[in-house]
Order: sequence, then structure tokens, then C-alpha cells
Amino acid sequence: MARTLIVAEIQNGALREATLELVALARKLGGELVSLVIGSEVSGQAETLAKQGGGKVLLADSPKLANYNSDGWADAIQRAVSAEAPDLVLISNTPSGWDVAPKVAAALDAGIITDVFDIENEGDELAFTRRLFNGKFNGRFRITGSPRIATIQPGATAAYEGSDGGSVEPLEIDSAPPRSEFLEIRMAEAGGHDLSKAEIIVSGGRGLAKPENFDAVLKPLVDALGAQMGASRPVVDAGWLPHEYQVGSSGQLVQPKLYVAVGISGAIQHLVGMKSSNYILAINKDPDAPIFEIADLGVVQDLFEFVPKLAAKVKSAKGG
Amino acid sequence: MKILVCVKQVPHKDARLEISSDETWIQDESIKFEINAYDTYALEEALRIKDAGEAEVVILSIGPDRAIQALRTALGMGADRAILVWDDALAGTDSLGIAKALAAVAKAEQPDLILTGLMADDTNYSLTPPMLAELTQLPHVTAVVKETQQNGDIVAERELEGGALEVVKLPRPCLLSIQTGMNDVRYASLKGIMQAKKKPLETKSLADLGLQASDVAPKVTLEKIFLPPRGKGAEIVEGSIDEIATQVVTKIKELGLL
Ligand SMILES: Cc1cc2nc3c(=O)[nH]c(=O)nc-3n(C[C@H](O)[C@H](O)[C@H](O)COP(=O)(O)OP(=O)(O)OC[C@H]3O[C@@H](n4cnc5c(N)ncnc54)[C@H](O)[C@@H]3O)c2cc1C
Ligand SMILES: Nc1ncnc2c1ncn2[C@@H]1O[C@H](COP(=O)(O)O)[C@@H](O)[C@H]1O
Repeated sequence: MARTLIVAEIQNGALREATLELVALARKLGGELVSLVIGSEVSGQAETLAKQGGGKVLLADSPKLANYNSDGWADAIQRAVSAEAPDLVLISNTPSGWDVAPKVAAALDAGIITDVFDIENEGDELAFTRRLFNGKFNGRFRITGSPRIATIQPGATAAYEGSDGGSVEPLEIDSAPPRSEFLEIRMAEAGGHDLSKAEIIVSGGRGLAKPENFDAVLKPLVDALGAQMGASRPVVDAGWLPHEYQVGSSGQLVQPKLYVAVGISGAIQHLVGMKSSNYILAINKDPDAPIFEIADLGVVQDLFEFVPKLAAKVKSAKGG
Repeated sequence: MKILVCVKQVPHKDARLEISSDETWIQDESIKFEINAYDTYALEEALRIKDAGEAEVVILSIGPDRAIQALRTALGMGADRAILVWDDALAGTDSLGIAKALAAVAKAEQPDLILTGLMADDTNYSLTPPMLAELTQLPHVTAVVKETQQNGDIVAERELEGGALEVVKLPRPCLLSIQTGMNDVRYASLKGIMQAKKKPLETKSLADLGLQASDVAPKVTLEKIFLPPRGKGAEIVEGSIDEIATQVVTKIKELGLL
């Protein structure tokens, strides 16, 4: 790669780990590296990035960039692109990344691929790999034209840990205010069902098919194991269980000694929430379900037949 | 007020998916399709705005003939009319091509609000909505879980990570991409389905939109689709149901949890 531009992200005042992952990926691909830091009073973070391998760091620093807004971010990225003419632009696939990157691609009439977890450099050609169908398949993609834009799945690459003396240069931005007005950030109500300390969690997914089945099929196993019940997002979206049961990127992050996934396919947003569990048991009738990729133990069975059987055996094992 | 809802027809969640013989997509000749789940929440939100006041809800989809089924379902749920765009040149296009075709319709329709899903459940791209917003010069916000109308403005809550929500105010017209769980999606009633048969359903080609095949030529190509390499993968317990359950119990005992 001749030249890569990475767009940094600041969270709670510090560079996100995902930004250093972009640095590592850009360096793996080779060529020149330019970084862009966007925010208000963030020159310190830009200096840090320059020292942590970010190369030449462009700094878009303005009070109007104090909170994420797509207009301001897109303007800064487009200006960085026209100043540096990168062949490749890397942005983290985070809420701000997925909001702004496609807008920039449309403005530049450039090809873009989202949520990429691997880029291979084959001479001058790049091959981008990402999941499709919620992780059931992978797809390998190519982009023609320049710049090529990719949003990168956080956690897919190890963060760059080296240090280097880069430089920081200001980037002039458009002074027009964004069309959308930031009002506030607030936290969703927490609720009383805290899964973060559970030793065992048994989570049910859309495979349970009906709300009644959580009581009729899942609960006996939960009780037999002395576990807590969790759920995937569609279960919560349908109102079968309250939000506080949801495990995943937009739910709780859990790390029990045993996580049992019942009728859950294993979409990345669910995996993010439970993959650091000590031991994972997956029960799914589809042998190709992506959950089996990260599970330790897999049972390929109809849950309606298997779960009652397992609950009964656990119960008698405890009694005996 | 006119609301344009972009709807994609995707393989049914319970369809058995197999890779096509040329390994560039799935075999989709004999499977069932449905409206993308994210889009059903967008449609429901549009219908709620309509129920609360006056609004025309227009459904827009790009897809082959089979997508008519999705449009009829949307009309049956209460949308007022539907537009289906198709052209052979769209078969191999990328998200930007789709967004350009959607934008051509949006420019002609001049809606006050465009609602889309956050992502399509087949490709999981999450690309079209901000592209469409850019091409129509509208402000946008993605992953919206709540929306209220306030004197011509919209206050939207967008989902961030770890339970955080960002509240933003946008002027109309604007585009919102909708995250799942925003509302309780209604079903099409029998009466609705009967009425839907009389509702307008227009089909348009690229030429009808003033576009040419070259305008939607793809910059992104899916070269190959494949099963993810198993890596370490789970140890799959084999045997009769009874034997499997016994082995699983043994494992849980080994973990010291029984
Ligand atoms: C920004 C964003 C944030 C998200 N946050 C989260 C999150 O926090 N948590 C989360 O879970 N998801 C989240 N999602 C949604 C995620 O992408 C998936 O849609 C979701 O995880 C799928 O849930 P599921 O596995 O229960 O359903 P599906 O993917 O529909 O899987 C159901 C599974 O059940 C199996 N099954 C069906 N019937 C049976 C049976 N009889 N016996 C055995 N197995 C059966 C099927 O084989 C299938 O694998 C998020 C998505 C986005 C875009
Ligand atoms: N072919 C299409 N026709 C109509 N709307 C679409 C189409 N493709 C994508 N969209 C809209 O864009 C959203 C996000 O899709 P995607 O960017 O493909 O993940 C979907 O939820 C739809 O609202």
C-alpha cells in the first residue's frame, strides 16, 4: 500500500484501543501512514498517537467537533483525503465509524467495505474479508478505484505496541455548524438483573421460538444449574425478556465460569459480550452456526428435545 | 408529511442457506424471503407517525420481481403506496449503486422523512443509509432506537455501546436508520391484505430514474463466499441424545460446577 490514512477515535478523553489496532493493520500492509485526530482540545491525544506509531498526525481541532456529528467528521475526513491522497482509508467500525464512513464514501464516489476483520496485501491488490449472514459465511471482497475505504471490526487485530516519533500538523476544517444538534448522552436504565458476577449463565436466543419457552424449556436448566438467565437481542427486541437480560455489544459483557448458549447463532455482536467466558457450551441444531467457532463444547441437537434431557440429568447429578 | 421507507427483501431467517455453485453468493432460487427485520421497525415507526397525525407512507425497494411480495406485505401493514425499482444492471451493483438508485427516487418524491433499517440482515453492510443521506444532501443519524417529532424537528436517540444513548436533534427533511427493538411491529391484518391489493404499486427501471447502467457500475465486488474456517472450534459431542447429555454433565462436573 502506498499510503494509508487512519481515522483515530477518542473515547472518554483517550485514544481508543481500536485506533491502535488500525495503526497495526496499516503498518502490516506497509507504505506510508497518516492519521487523523478529530475533536475539541485533543492535541494531547494527537501527540500521543504520533508517538505510538500513527506517523504524521493531522489534527482537526474545533469546538464544533466536541461531540461526534456526521457533518463535522465527514468534512474533516474528506479534507484529510484531499490533502494526503491516500490509497486506503481505515476507520473503526464503531457507532461513529459506521455513521460517517459510508457518507464519506458517497461524497468521494469511492468503494467501501464495512466491518472488515482482515486485509491481505497481494502485490498492489488488497483482499478484504468480512462476515456475511451474521457470521454464517465469510466473504472476500475487492475494491477498484481510489481511495479504498474500509471500516475495521474492533478487536480483530492486535493493537500496535511500538513507539515512533511522528509529527502533528493542524488540518483546516469547514466552520459551518453541523445540521444535527447534539443534545446529550445518557445511560439506559440499568435494571436489577446483573449478569456480571454470575458463575453460570444460560442464555436463550431466537431459537426458543416463543416467549413461553423461556419458562417451559430454558428455566428448568437454569434452575438445575443454579445459573442466571441471559438472552440474545432478538429475544429482548420482541419483548420476551427485559433489556437487562441481553448479552452482547449493546447489552451486558459477561465472563462466567460456564456460558450456555441455547438457540443462539453467534453473531459478532453477541460474541463480543460472552467470548471471554471461561467455558462455553453451545446448543444449536445447525452444525454450521458460527457459535460453534468459539464454543468449547458443542451439541448439535434440537434444543426442545435436548435441553429438557440435560436439565433432568443435571438435576439427578446434583441430587445423587 | 411524506415518509419514504426503504425496504429490502432478504432471505427468511429460518431459510437453510447454501453457497451457490459459483461461490459468489448463496443459492437463492428455492428459499423463502421476508422483509429485512430492521426495516420492519422502520416501517412500524412510519405507520405510528401516520396514526398519530397525517402522513403518507411510501415504500421503496430495489429488487427483482420476488420483492413485490415484500411490498404487498408492507402495504398490508398500512403503507399507502409502493415503488419497486429493478434493472438487470442492478444485479451486480454495490451499495453505492443501490444508494444512487434510491436517491433518484427520493429526489423525485421529496419526502419529509426517510426511514431505513440500520443494516440488511443478509449482507450486514450498514452502508446504504448514510450514502443515501449524502446523495440527497440530508442530515442523518444511524442506529436510532427512539424518535419524537418536535415542531418540524426530530429528536432521535441513537444507540452507542455499553448502554449509552446519544440524543440528537435534526431538522426535517432528514434520514434515520432504525435499530431493532424500537417498537412492537404490527402484523398485516386480513383486511389490510385485502385493501393492499388496490393500493398503487409502481415498478421502475433505471432509465425511468434517469440513470444508466454505467452510473451503478460497482466499485466493490464480492469475489468469494465461503464457510468460516473452523479454527480451534468446539468439540462436538456425538452419540444419542441421552449419551450426549451424560457427557455434557460429566464436563460440567469436571469444571467443578456441579
Ligand atoms: C449495532 C448492533 C448491536 C447489536 N447488539 C447485540 C447484542 O448486544 N446482543 C445480541 O445478542 N445481538 C446483538 N445484535 C444482533 C445480532 O446481530 C444478531 O441479530 C443476534 O445476536 C441474533 O440473535 P440469535 O442468535 O438469538 O438469533 P438468530 O441469529 O436468528 O439465531 C437463532 C439460532 O437458533 C437456532 N435454532 C433455531 N431453532 C432451533 C432448535 N429448535 N434447536 C436448536 N437450535 C435452534 C438456529 O440454528 C440459529 O442458529 C446487534 C446488532 C447490531 C447491528
Ligand atoms: N435493495 C434495497 N432496497 C431498498 N432499501 C434497501 C436496499 N438495500 C438496503 N436498503 C436499505 O438500507 C438499509 C441498510 O442496508 P445495508 O446498507 O445494505 O446494510 C436496509 O435496512 C434498507 O432500509
